[in-house]
Amino acid sequence: MPTSGDERIKASAFIPVSTAAVLLVGSTTLFFVFTCPWLAVTVSTYVPPCSAILFFLVLANFTMATFMDAGVLPMANEDEDKDDDLRAPLYKNVDVKGVQVRLKWCASCHFYRPPRCSHCSVCDHCVEDFDHHCPWVNNCIGRRNYRYFFLFLLSLTMHMVGVFSGSLLYILHHQEDLLKLHCTVTLVVMSVSGLFFIPVLGLTGFHLYLVSRGRTTNEQVTGKFQGGVNPFTLGCCGNLEYLICSPISPKYTARPIKKSAVRIMPPFLKPETDRQIPIIRVRDNGVQRHDLQSKVSLSTPNTLIREDPLFTHTHTQHQQQGGSSRGHYLSSEPILARVDQQLAFQSGPMSSPHQLNSLTLNSHFLTHKHAYRHGNKLPALHSEGLISQKVSPGRFPPHNPLSSRSSFSYSNLVNPGDPNYLPHPVFMGVSRQSPQTRDTLPRDPSLRDVTPQALMHRDLSPQTLIHREASPIRYDNLSKSIVASIKERQEMEAKDRMLRMQARSQALYGCPDMGVYDIPSRRSLPADSMRPPGSRAPTPPSYGSREFMMSTGILGYAGTRSPLSSASSSSLTRAPRTSSSPLQSSGLQSKGRSPSPSYLPPDRQAKPSSSSSTLPHTPSSSSAPCVPPKRPSLICAMEGKDSAPLALSK
Amino acid sequence: MATEFHNLQELRQSPSLATKVFIQRDYSEGTVCRFQIKFPSELGSRIERTLFEDTVKTLNTYYAEAEKVGGQSYMEGCLACATAYFIFFCMETRYEKVLKKISGYIQEQNEKIYAPRGLLLTDPVERGMRVIEVSVFEDRGSSGSSPSSNVSSGISQR
Repeated sequence: MPTSGDERIKASAFIPVSTAAVLLVGSTTLFFVFTCPWLAVTVSTYVPPCSAILFFLVLANFTMATFMDAGVLPMANEDEDKDDDLRAPLYKNVDVKGVQVRLKWCASCHFYRPPRCSHCSVCDHCVEDFDHHCPWVNNCIGRRNYRYFFLFLLSLTMHMVGVFSGSLLYILHHQEDLLKLHCTVTLVVMSVSGLFFIPVLGLTGFHLYLVSRGRTTNEQVTGKFQGGVNPFTLGCCGNLEYLICSPISPKYTARPIKKSAVRIMPPFLKPETDRQIPIIRVRDNGVQRHDLQSKVSLSTPNTLIREDPLFTHTHTQHQQQGGSSRGHYLSSEPILARVDQQLAFQSGPMSSPHQLNSLTLNSHFLTHKHAYRHGNKLPALHSEGLISQKVSPGRFPPHNPLSSRSSFSYSNLVNPGDPNYLPHPVFMGVSRQSPQTRDTLPRDPSLRDVTPQALMHRDLSPQTLIHREASPIRYDNLSKSIVASIKERQEMEAKDRMLRMQARSQALYGCPDMGVYDIPSRRSLPADSMRPPGSRAPTPPSYGSREFMMSTGILGYAGTRSPLSSASSSSLTRAPRTSSSPLQSSGLQSKGRSPSPSYLPPDRQAKPSSSSSTLPHTPSSSSAPCVPPKRPSLICAMEGKDSAPLALSK
Repeated sequence: MATEFHNLQELRQSPSLATKVFIQRDYSEGTVCRFQIKFPSELGSRIERTLFEDTVKTLNTYYAEAEKVGGQSYMEGCLACATAYFIFFCMETRYEKVLKKISGYIQEQNEKIYAPRGLLLTDPVERGMRVIEVSVFEDRGSSGSSPSSNVSSGISQR
């Protein structure tokens, strides 16, 4: 039914225009047929041509007024009005030549109507410079076709004047023949023209007035500028000039839009101010890492602090200590403690193997300490951590080269905080070395000292550091599985080396397969509740292999909870190797290698509080005062524990 | 996972639209076509102010040229009236010619300046000469701050 109603409305809309067209064309045709010949003979021969021209002008303007787009504004896209539709005020004021003009929000077209724009309810669209909707042409009169409408009115008025006057002349000369066809027709034409001449003349005069005042019909009828100043008028002559001489504005609707093939591909240029900001992003795994290696390394302290409070304070201490071995010693302690914790946590049910492992590691610590004493360069993480457990800082001569190296390695080892990464990359470096030397267990103390160091130096190579260094934030562009696989590979390498190093260390003390940790499936991580109460709970690991290795090691060496027995390590080695973890083999080795001073938990408690507030950048000695007080306690704790493993091992 | 990776590649190939910035008309001089030269804050991090303002000023110049009431437009009107407007079937108006120039200019600006910056200008005539629509595309090279960047970041975060 609505359809038929719309059709009826549409049909009724054509009645006025049809009537106007019929009347116009019909009357003029009759005039030309019945009256013009006599006028051409009697008055002038130029009457018919002029009338014809005038009539064509009327027709042309009538056609243009009827079919020309009035300046319809297309509806706004959704993107444009998404902010305006709901919260937008109904009116918006703009300043036009000093006059505040109110723009109204068009709910149908979804934009604020430009000045002089109005919405035609008949046509249901906004028209630019809307004048009115003329039923006689069945079209809106607006910016684009007002000239033609005005000219139509003018020309129609003139034409009607001509037709009326010609017909009147004819009638006056043929009064006695009024009943003849020619006279009857001329009489009808005269009547029609005379009848419609009054309204048309009135309309023409009205629009002449509007043009002179620079107003639209809509503005005149609504009384917009009745008492005020019309900012749109250009003066009488200017308005007439604008009416006649202004260029025809373009049609907005149904334009042939040519799609420009402009290719937009990132990366995009940035303004100069933004380019100066160093952009450190690690997106593509491996590629950008290498490129950003230097940058990331520079920013690593920040990332360290940001991502891992444990590493934050450790690194802070490390840097604050400068190149002193003390700093290394202290920085590595929390890491080792954490690793120890995790390792212990991981292998909760297998406490005895962990204990044994811890005991053996403690013995390793002793060895490394001694090695360090002799001035051998030891790996920062492993040996220095070991050393710190047993020896007071004063015993260690400042070892700047190693410190710097260690700091470099340390900073790069620590994962800046990729959530997918384990927060304990330290043991990657340690573990890498272990498997290599697993089969070759040097017994020579001197070799003992040298080998781990060499291995650690290998770890300090930029390449390994690159592998260890994790993206500062995350892998944005890679799926989780890809990231996981990449990290698995890295962990495997790190653990291999760690196991190698550990194997060497263990071999020095005659403890075979001490580093053989069994790594269950990646997912079976120890629960947080199993962690030592004083220890810092590490971030939830998403990849189990590394956490497993570390957690089992830490748990095994958490001295505050329970003494670790030799059985722990054996059970670790006997742990099922049928696990699906790809890092199992290396993990088995790495577990035993993970040094985990038992003093770490309490130390770790103290350290965060002391160093968390310190800035990580400047390796100053500000944290040095914080460190020494802890050392005695740490050393005492380690000394107490070391005696037990030593006894066991012997 | 493979699907995600594939989608990422596709996303990488076609940057997604982050937002649109609209440059409104400047009605301070009447209804003549003129756009505001005020630099929107949303583009502050994407393009230099001078470049953008030059573009808008040039566009305003073009539009002023198109809407100039003078001898040429008068002759055009008279000719059109004299030919009963049949001339419109044969040749295009002056305004349309300038619009073509504007379209070419916008295309050139897009190719040289805006597309490398992840922006795209839309010809105002397509919007009824009411606004200059500036499409801002997501910058994948940067840490995505736009909402459409959550696709890639969400995948990685997971």
